[in-house]
Amino acid sequence: MKKALEITLGIVTSVGGFLEIGSVTTAVQAGAAFGYHLLWAILLGTVCLIFLVEMSGRFSAVSRHTIVDATRERFGFPFFAIVLVGVVLVFFMVLVAELGGIGLSLQILTGIGFPWWAIPVSFAVWLLMWKGTFGLIENGASILGLVTISFVVAALKLNPDWGAAGHGLLPGLPGDDKAKYGFIAVSILGASISPHLMYFYSSGAIEDEWDKTYIPINRFIAGFGISFGGVLSMAALVTAALAFQPNGVEVDTFEQSALLMTTAFPKWGFFLFAASMLFTCLGAALETSLAIAYFFAQGFGWSWSEDLTPSKNARFCFTYTIIILLAAIPLLVGIDPIKVTLMSMALTAATLPLAVLPFLFLMNDPIYLGEHRNGWVSNTVVGITILISFVLALIAIPLQIIGG
Amino acid sequence: MDSALSWIGTAGMAGDAWLRQTTPDTYARQTLELSHQNLRQISNDLLESPPLGPDSAYLNTVLARSRRRIARLAALITAKDAPDFARELDLLRADQRIVKRLSDKIESEE
Repeated sequence: MKKALEITLGIVTSVGGFLEIGSVTTAVQAGAAFGYHLLWAILLGTVCLIFLVEMSGRFSAVSRHTIVDATRERFGFPFFAIVLVGVVLVFFMVLVAELGGIGLSLQILTGIGFPWWAIPVSFAVWLLMWKGTFGLIENGASILGLVTISFVVAALKLNPDWGAAGHGLLPGLPGDDKAKYGFIAVSILGASISPHLMYFYSSGAIEDEWDKTYIPINRFIAGFGISFGGVLSMAALVTAALAFQPNGVEVDTFEQSALLMTTAFPKWGFFLFAASMLFTCLGAALETSLAIAYFFAQGFGWSWSEDLTPSKNARFCFTYTIIILLAAIPLLVGIDPIKVTLMSMALTAATLPLAVLPFLFLMNDPIYLGEHRNGWVSNTVVGITILISFVLALIAIPLQIIGG
Repeated sequence: MDSALSWIGTAGMAGDAWLRQTTPDTYARQTLELSHQNLRQISNDLLESPPLGPDSAYLNTVLARSRRRIARLAALITAKDAPDFARELDLLRADQRIVKRLSDKIESEE
């Protein structure tokens, strides 16, 4: 019974916690600019994430290590320090984007500019971290995030062309605007394959005291939950294609994205979108703050657990306190969260080898995993996807910057 | 040109949503003001490097008219004047069709 509840909660977490400002912004931009043509990027990212999340859970359940502490133990501190700097910098940008997403949601609801929300939102996130437990953070925001199922209903209500959508699942090149197409594809991959989920999930498996008996449950949660999350992301793209393309709208700002569901749900579309973004960005901000604190604490061998009181967890709590405070600064001075989002997603894709390759080595290490180490399928799928993301990022980011 | 069409389309969608009373006034007004601002920037850019062809001047005229319509729509939200808002929105839609036609023509000539 306990495990059945854990499976349900795990799936709810994966579904409700999948979308956030990065995945929604990139999917909506892709749908508005290129119709169904970038569905393949979401599919590829989702498949890779299923493998990565499954591997993270399996690694912690079998080895009783988190990915971070094993990385430091296996590769030594100098290598770990390089991973720490690269990964934490990108996670920090993601955190700024998520806090900005909450601020923008409140801005469209109230008319008060997002910089004014930077401090209250950061304080609320910090307070939830300070007072909350791992279960509250993992499940609370994700259950609220189930409102994003409205994206699927919206897409279905607009009667998509299933043939064209199926065609979009195969990669292809557009006639013009190749740089923009490449940049959005990279951003979608960065938004889908978010390494913070890998670290968060691995730490969660230790927090929840998983052992080898959890391997089948882990596989089910990763496969089913993340697949459904991918469907939500595809639904956002399809809705954008059907709502924005006939009006000639190419989405560059959050104000434009807010109109996503007003065609499918004339009465509630605007508020459904605002609520979706508010809850999913809140969940992602909590997860990202926690992932950064886990990274430092596990890497430096401090005591860490979201379930311990701050007095027993001083350095862990100090880390997320400082990080959340620092993340509020760019928003306070008015830096556009959407620009931060797009750049952070593209940089996530560019730095994927730094986060994922050491993990792939660990997943093939018999010392940690024994008979449960990776097979060739997992290695090939993750290896090829990371390579594609990295190469696309190397080509598309400079092109997009040069092209403005 | 795509950007101009995009911002006129945004103003149209935001206007439609406001007419149905399904968005807050402040959001609708701010989005219309954002569309106006971006359209002005695009018009300035087009003046600096105008597209080739005899329709370039006409395009500028229609864009300027669209900007004025969007500014008026924002003002009508403050006045809560839905009937005039609906009429102005129809005229903006007509301008959008003209910009689309001109844009396609200029593109095919290039």
